[in-house]
Amino acid sequence: MTKLLGDLEPVYVVGAGWHRYQRLSQVGYVDLGLTAVRGALDDAGLAWGDVDESFIGTGHLGMAVGRPMLKHLGALGKPLVHVENASASGSAAFRLGCVHVAAGISDVALVLGVDKPRSIYRAPTGTHGLADDAIVPFTHFSLLSGAYTAASGVTDEDLAQIAVKNHRNGSLNPNAHRQQERTLEEVLGGRRTAGSLTSLQCCPVGEGAAAVIVASAGAIARLGIDPAKAIRVASSATVTETTTSSDQEVTREVIARALHEAQTPPSEVDVFELHDAFTIEEAQYVEASGIAPPGKYVPMLKEGAFDIGGQCAVSTSGGLLAMGHPIGPTGVGQIGEIALQLRGSAGPRQHPGARVGLAHMVGLGAVGYAHVLRKD
Amino acid sequence: MTSIVDLDAEPPRLRGGTCRVCGLVFFPFQTYGCEQCGAYGDALQPSPLKGHGTVRATTVVHRHADPRRPAPFSVVQVDLDEGPMVRGVVAEGVELEVGASAQLVKVADAGDDELLAVRFTAPPKES
Ligand SMILES: [Zn+2]
Repeated sequence: MTKLLGDLEPVYVVGAGWHRYQRLSQVGYVDLGLTAVRGALDDAGLAWGDVDESFIGTGHLGMAVGRPMLKHLGALGKPLVHVENASASGSAAFRLGCVHVAAGISDVALVLGVDKPRSIYRAPTGTHGLADDAIVPFTHFSLLSGAYTAASGVTDEDLAQIAVKNHRNGSLNPNAHRQQERTLEEVLGGRRTAGSLTSLQCCPVGEGAAAVIVASAGAIARLGIDPAKAIRVASSATVTETTTSSDQEVTREVIARALHEAQTPPSEVDVFELHDAFTIEEAQYVEASGIAPPGKYVPMLKEGAFDIGGQCAVSTSGGLLAMGHPIGPTGVGQIGEIALQLRGSAGPRQHPGARVGLAHMVGLGAVGYAHVLRKD
Repeated sequence: MTSIVDLDAEPPRLRGGTCRVCGLVFFPFQTYGCEQCGAYGDALQPSPLKGHGTVRATTVVHRHADPRRPAPFSVVQVDLDEGPMVRGVVAEGVELEVGASAQLVKVADAGDDELLAVRFTAPPKES
């Protein structure tokens, strides 16, 4: 019989840290990563020697980049592994860290996402489509966007409001790549990429790092971690695309599994960080999650349901659209943001009374990840 | 790259395949294994596709880095009559709306790059 995370020992997020997401710069990945790890250790009140094992999510950096970075915290001979799962690399690393702690293999694990952008290498499969070179990600999502707006009567202005909301949230986040509020006119007036998508409706892919520390209940007691900082990881789910499913079906399936495992109805989710690499995705995934009924995302958005302080705050961090999408860090940073929200430590971005958070990523493939976090 | 379009046919045909075990029709042809049932090798047989289908989604690309495909151009997602979904570029000056029929045609002699030679267009009106 296979097991779910919830069948194992409880596991908690006890610390979070970042290096700001930003445009490609001269800062080396070692500096990016160490900044995030030291931030997470400080947040948890732990020393590097307390960490048993490290999981490093990265999409762009290449082979074996972890030890030349982490040795500067002290080369203590402890296990580390690199995790690559495209945009979901950080989410995949987080799941593995949680599973190892919940299974008792480690007591305390570091999950680090770190990346600097570069051109992507993928070995050829030996097969190809008719026009793979013409369908870049924004074109893929614009094709989905057109199908959604045609079916639902939603306008281009409606979808652009998603970027307005997420840039507003990002302006409150010192770790966000884009920290400037944007008006609807600015979003709509930007350079068009494909269809009605404009540049501010496409996420920035820059550099950065995010780290979280996960720990068992035993470690929290033994190491004297502040219990008020401990946020339970209530579930972890992952699926891959089938012959016929698309990003939206992958999302529907993986979120349904995570909510079911956490015994949480969609209506109980207070904060939701999702894979909004393009505006259309937020509309589709909030509906796929069940938090909005089919076709109701846009009317609810206009009523403020997804604002900080609304029914369910979506992408309080700014989301991929404003917080940014440096690949490896993205999924880890979502977990950190939700942990801050559930602790009540998110400062000007705080969603009042947040107790349940949902994190979601889709990686090329497509692979889907979802985690539910809960303040006990 | 392996050829996936038969440019000698008029209109060009797509080099698809059929799984003899489960019947799945797929594109492009390969013998690695069937996505639906896992059968491989000789269980997968070449099966030419007519390149005709129904448009499911369309968009205009305003920016594109590859100079061999100068923007703007349109792309479509087409459900082929035989079953597989394909995505391709639309012939210049042609508008294909969701729900319309589409036909793959040869529009240019693009040397040894067959993918630059084919586009989707509206099929000739039936009389
Ligand atoms: Zn088959």
